[in-house]
Order: sequence, then structure tokens, then C-alpha cells
Amino acid sequence: MTAPAIATEKLTRRFGDLTAVQDVNLRVAPGQFFGFLGPNGAGKSTTIKMLTGLLAPTSGRIEILGLDFAREMVRVKRQIGVVPEGLALFGRLTGAEYLTFVGRMYGIDRETTAKRTGELLEFMQLANEPRKLVTDYSHGMQKKLALAAAVIHGPKILFLDEPFEGVDAIAAGTLKAMLQRMIARGATIFLTSHVLEIVERLCSHVAIIHRGQLVAQGSLEELRAGVEAQAASANAGSNTQGRLTLEEIFLYTVGGTRPAEQELSWLG
Amino acid sequence: MAGMTESVQSRAQLAAIAQVRWNIFTHSLRTKRGALELFSRIVIGLVITCGGLGGAILLGMGAWYFLSEGKPEALALVLWPVFFFWQFFPVMASALTETMDSSHLLRFPLNYRAYVTVRLVYGALDPATLLGGLWLTGIMLGIGWARPSLLLWAAVVLGAFAGVNMLLTQMVFAWVERWLAQRRTREIFAVLFFLALISMQLVGPMLSRYGERSGAAFRRAGQVANPVQAVLPPGIATSALASAANKRYVAAAGFLGGLVLYAVVILRILSVRLSAQYRGENLSEVRDQSARRQGRFGVRPGWNVPALSGEVTAVVEKEFRYLARSGPMLLTFVTPIVMLFVFGLGGRSGAGAGFLQHWPQLALPVGAGYALLLLTNLVYNNLGADGGGIQFFLASPASFRSVIIGKNLAHMAVLALEVVVLWIGVSFVYRPPMFTTVLTTLAGLLFAAPVSLAAGNLLSLYSPKKTEFGTFGRQRASQITVLASFVIQALVFGVAGMSIFAARHYGPWLAIVVLLGLAGLAFGGYIFVLGKVDRLALARREVLAAELCK
Repeated sequence: MTAPAIATEKLTRRFGDLTAVQDVNLRVAPGQFFGFLGPNGAGKSTTIKMLTGLLAPTSGRIEILGLDFAREMVRVKRQIGVVPEGLALFGRLTGAEYLTFVGRMYGIDRETTAKRTGELLEFMQLANEPRKLVTDYSHGMQKKLALAAAVIHGPKILFLDEPFEGVDAIAAGTLKAMLQRMIARGATIFLTSHVLEIVERLCSHVAIIHRGQLVAQGSLEELRAGVEAQAASANAGSNTQGRLTLEEIFLYTVGGTRPAEQELSWLG
Repeated sequence: MAGMTESVQSRAQLAAIAQVRWNIFTHSLRTKRGALELFSRIVIGLVITCGGLGGAILLGMGAWYFLSEGKPEALALVLWPVFFFWQFFPVMASALTETMDSSHLLRFPLNYRAYVTVRLVYGALDPATLLGGLWLTGIMLGIGWARPSLLLWAAVVLGAFAGVNMLLTQMVFAWVERWLAQRRTREIFAVLFFLALISMQLVGPMLSRYGERSGAAFRRAGQVANPVQAVLPPGIATSALASAANKRYVAAAGFLGGLVLYAVVILRILSVRLSAQYRGENLSEVRDQSARRQGRFGVRPGWNVPALSGEVTAVVEKEFRYLARSGPMLLTFVTPIVMLFVFGLGGRSGAGAGFLQHWPQLALPVGAGYALLLLTNLVYNNLGADGGGIQFFLASPASFRSVIIGKNLAHMAVLALEVVVLWIGVSFVYRPPMFTTVLTTLAGLLFAAPVSLAAGNLLSLYSPKKTEFGTFGRQRASQITVLASFVIQALVFGVAGMSIFAARHYGPWLAIVVLLGLAGLAFGGYIFVLGKVDRLALARREVLAAELCK
């Protein structure tokens, strides 16, 4: 039996009195495009930081590709790629210099790094301004560069924290093309996003975290069936109309509602 | 009416900015680190104030003496040092200087006048202003003591002089920052610097040749320079005070007007930069002509340094690229050479000689020590410039030890380069240092450098602060780091100094042996700290990310 790509057991993180993530048990199979959803402040970024070694869990266990993260941190890090919330770029390097630097830090030899750097810059359409510093890149360009850096070593798992936030349609298209290519080649992708339409289109499996606790996990169809069943039993006799969208599943699961019309008369 | 409303709005905005700064300050005290920062700031402030008071007393006595002796024109001798200090200190001690990042204010409907006010006020909150202000107060009191009737006038003139100094510092910084932000101007700067360095070759032979006559030559040069200095701010302030002392009040008022005119002109030139910033200018390499050239490119493989692992080499390369693109750092690195040249001015002997001309054998060790001191910002806060990049280091499989070794190697390579250039400079400006002096200096560095690196590595992990390599005044390490580095460097330089002093009595080899022994211990300490770096970085990853990703 193949080990899950990502597995957590009672993963918990506290910040003083605040429990940001509590007893989270995640399971992501190899090759899955996994969406990790939740409202603001639910614990998504905290979880992804723990999964990538940027934050220590207070308790619980993380296994990546069958390896205990706490014990085999370096081996795990060699096999994962990360685009964290802050993108982790070095602003005063050019794009090519940054990718070259990242490649070397992952232990790739100079020639291979240079070759991959060129290919990635071409693919991401970042090759036209070779002398431009990363700090002068637009937000979308920085996202593309961060993604290029995260994949330069050919990771088996890719963690992406809000990869589509602040990215225009053209850049988003490039990112999606890259991600789908990785999935097609057997990689696992774990992403958080607020853009539910994109998650619905890309991800085969989803987990929803709310107030630090995992409230749903499974394939989109399983989640849909679960919500429909719950809705049906709650409103005995009435069936949900049509196929539920991910947004509806999400709102139903976290108990949210669409913003009520409120009076903000001063808004003019 | 509209103007009044606007002025009321501006006042409210300035009050809001002051309030938010106060809130940030009080909130920072909630953490242990914030309280430590405040403590360090107070200690550093007290040390600076004590030093400032000493200077104020000396300069005040000087002013009192010149007025009492009926030589008010000689006040230039106390005003020029203050002027030079005010302008050069921020470059020489950037660890203590910081300007506010005002770019985030641009999103608010702040009018230009309010923006300039905020910039000027925050720009003035630095040690140069504190010390300069203290010294001018000392001079004012000295004048008042000698001639009580001049006290008020001295306060007005010296107040205007202080204003000129504050504006000039900010103006120079703003423009130098603008010029050095571009690759082309940095290259021109580097070429000019090396031309100046080569021209130093002429200084040594000239001083040797004209050494005997240098006193008279300098007096003649002084006579030529006097009219020039008289039209510069310290000279005009002197004239304003001297005229009042000689009861030529109209002339005095005229000179004060000249000083105010200087302030206005400087403010106007500064305003060109500030208005560009107000319009949202973003200094970057992209303005460089060479950057506009687009097209196909070939990716060059990274550096290959034999005996270093790929990770360490990558970090070394990255550090050098960062340093090469930093105008402020470039200026910091040339400062020891410039200071060496300044202290070497004057004849080889006599009253006109620079202080290193009296003890030329100290030129190399003093220059090398100063070079190490100037690396404080880099060595003691070596993750600061990485900013959000720290997340990459934490997420990558490379050990933190490799990262730190790479940074340490890059910084020591810079120091080594500085020492070589210093050696060349000393050889030309003074005389080639004796073999034992070179050995003593190297032994001293072998002791001081590992101590600084070990302490710097720990402080970089315990007290990181995000810095901006491309911007003047945004390179200050945390106050805890500044204080700790002062104490450590005082100890290191004290020990090295004592060894050199003892060697004057017991022979030069004693210092070398003692310093090499200490170097062995220091290196052991450095290796010990290096062994702990991975564990420490892991334990402090949240603090590092939180502080550097701000």
C-alpha cells in the first residue's frame, strides 16, 4: 500500500491562549490536487507553514511521503516545493540569479540549474527582462517566479499558499498550466485559496478547516454528497436544487451566509 | 477658508501620524524583546549624550576662549568640526542612523507640505542631530559666558546653522541614494574612487619632498581656503557671530540672512527628491539604460568556488550580488580608505600633521579595525537584508549552517579586500608598514573577526531586524544588536589595543603571539557557535520569519 503524500495526526498549534489549529488529521494521497479551504483566520496558513517546516507544531505528527517530518526534515525538504504567503524572494537579485541561487541551494549542479532556469523563465514568460531585479517585478511576475523557484528541483509535493491571490488572468493561466503539467506527471499539489472557482476547477480533493478544526475532507463528490444528505435531513422532504457548487458546499460547511444588506449610509 | 481647512486637516494628519508612531512604540513594549530594545536605546542614548556633553564642554570652552581673547573670527575652528561631524557621521555610523520609510504614507491624502514635514522631522531624529545639537548648545553657552549680551543672538544664529546642517544631511543622503541606486552611477563612483586611490600614490612622494616646507605650504593653503570657507555655512555662521561681537549688527543680520538663504536653497534641492518620492517614485535598477535592453538571454551557471559546497557558494554569490547593488554599502566600504586619507593630510611632522602622520605605524591597524567596525551592520544582523527570503532558507533543505558560513565568508572576503586596499593606501600615503605591523594587524584581525562573527551570528538569530540594502538610513540593526556589538567590539579592541601597547615595551612579537593565542580561542568559539546555528535557527524560526517578513 502506498504511503500518503501528506498525513497529519492530531496536528495542533497554539499561540499563547489561542489555538490556531487543533487536532487536524489530514490525508492527501499521491497525485492528488488538494485544495485546503477555510475562512480568514481559520488556520490555513498556520497549517501549511507547519507542513513545510516554517512553523513548529505544538503537538501532533506530520508525515510527508512516509517520512516523519520532525526527524527527517532535510530529506522531506528535498522532495517538496513551497510558495509561502510572503513568496520568499530575494528582491535584489534578477530572476535568473534567484532561480540559479535556489537551484544550487537544493543541491542541483550548476549546468542543470542554468538549463532549468532558462526553461522556467521562458515558460513563465519572465525571460524578456533579464536585468530587472525581482523587487521591480509586478506582483504577478513575482508569483510566477516564486512558483518557478518552488519547482526547479522537481519536487514530488508542491505547497502553495494563495497562489492566485493578486494575479491577473494571464498569469493565472500560466500558473494553472504549470500545475496541471505537474499533476499529469504524478506530483501532488496542496494549495490554499480563497478563489473557490479555481479550486473547484483544479482540485480533485478538498479539506475545509474552520476555527482551527478540520470540518470536512474528501473528494469534491464526497463533500457534495455529504452536504446534500445533511441538507436533506435538516429540511426533511425538501431536496437541494441542482448540483451544489463548491462555494455553496463551503458556505454550508462553515455555517457562513452571504453578506446581508446593511445600511452604510455614509458610503454614498 | 479652504486653506484654513486644509491646514487644520494637515495638523490632524500629523497628529495622527505621531499618535500611530506612539502606539507602535507602546505596543512594541508588550514583548520582552521590545522592552529590551527600549532599554538598549536608552543606554545608547545615554552613551551618546555623555560623549556629546564632553564635546559640548570642550567646544564651549573653545568658543569662550576665542570670544574672551577677542578673536570671534576663530569661532570657525569650533563650527567646522561640528559641520563635518554632522555630515559624515551618518555615513560613518549607519548602524545608528535610520530614516523612516515614508512610502507607506503615500496612500493617504497627505498634502506635500505635511509629507515634507514628516520626512524632515523623522530625518532629524538621529544621533548626528542629537550630538550636533548638544555641541552647538555648548558653543552657544560658551559664547554667552564670555559675552552675555551675545547669548540670544548666538542662539538664533546657531539655531539656523543647526537647521542648515539637518537639511544638508538629508539633502546629500537623498541625492546620493538616488545616484547610487543605478548601476551606471555606481560604476562611475567605483571608477572615481579607484582613480582617487591611485592618485594617492602622488601624496606620499609629494609629502616626502615638501615635508619640511609643508607647514608654510599649509599656512598658504589656509590663506587661500579662508575666503572659500567664509562663504560656506560654518563660515557664514562665524561671520554672523563675529559681526555681532564687533557691534556690526547690520552685517550680522545680513550673514544670518545668508544662512537662512542656504537653508532655503538646500530645502529647494531636497524638495526635488522629496517631490519625486511624494509622486511615488521607486528607485530601482530599471531606470538604468542597460536594463532597458531587452531580448534573449543566456543563463550563466552560478559561481564555482573550489573547496566550497554548492550551497555555501550560492550564498556567497548572492551576498556579493547584494553588496554590489547597494549604494550605501559601497559608500560604507570606501569610508576607511577615505578616512585614512583624511587623517594622513598635513605634513609629516609638526602641528600641521594629521594624527596618523605622528604614528604612521598605527595607520594599518587603525584602518583595519575601523573597516571591521564598519562591517557591524552586516556581520551583526546578517539576515536583515534577506527580508522575506528567510522563508526560503527555512524551507530549503540546505542547512542553516551553510547559509551562515556563506554569509560569513562573503563578509570576511570584503574585509580581506579592504585590508589589502588599506595596505596599499597606507604604503602610499604614509610608508609601507613594517612586517611586524602587518603581522600584528593580521593577528589582531584573526582574533577580532571570529569573535565578531560568532557574536554576530548569535545576534542575527536572536535579534534580527529587516534592513534595506538599497536605501540609506534603513540599514540599522536592532538597538539590542547595536548595544551588544558596541560592548563586544569595545572588549575586542581593548584587548587588541592592550596587546599592541604591551608590545611597545616588550617587543612586537609579544603582541603577535598573544593575539594569535586569542585568535585560536576565538576561532574555537566561532566553531562552537556554528555548531549550534541549525538548532537555534529551527527553534527561532517563527521570530525570524515574523521579524524579517514584516
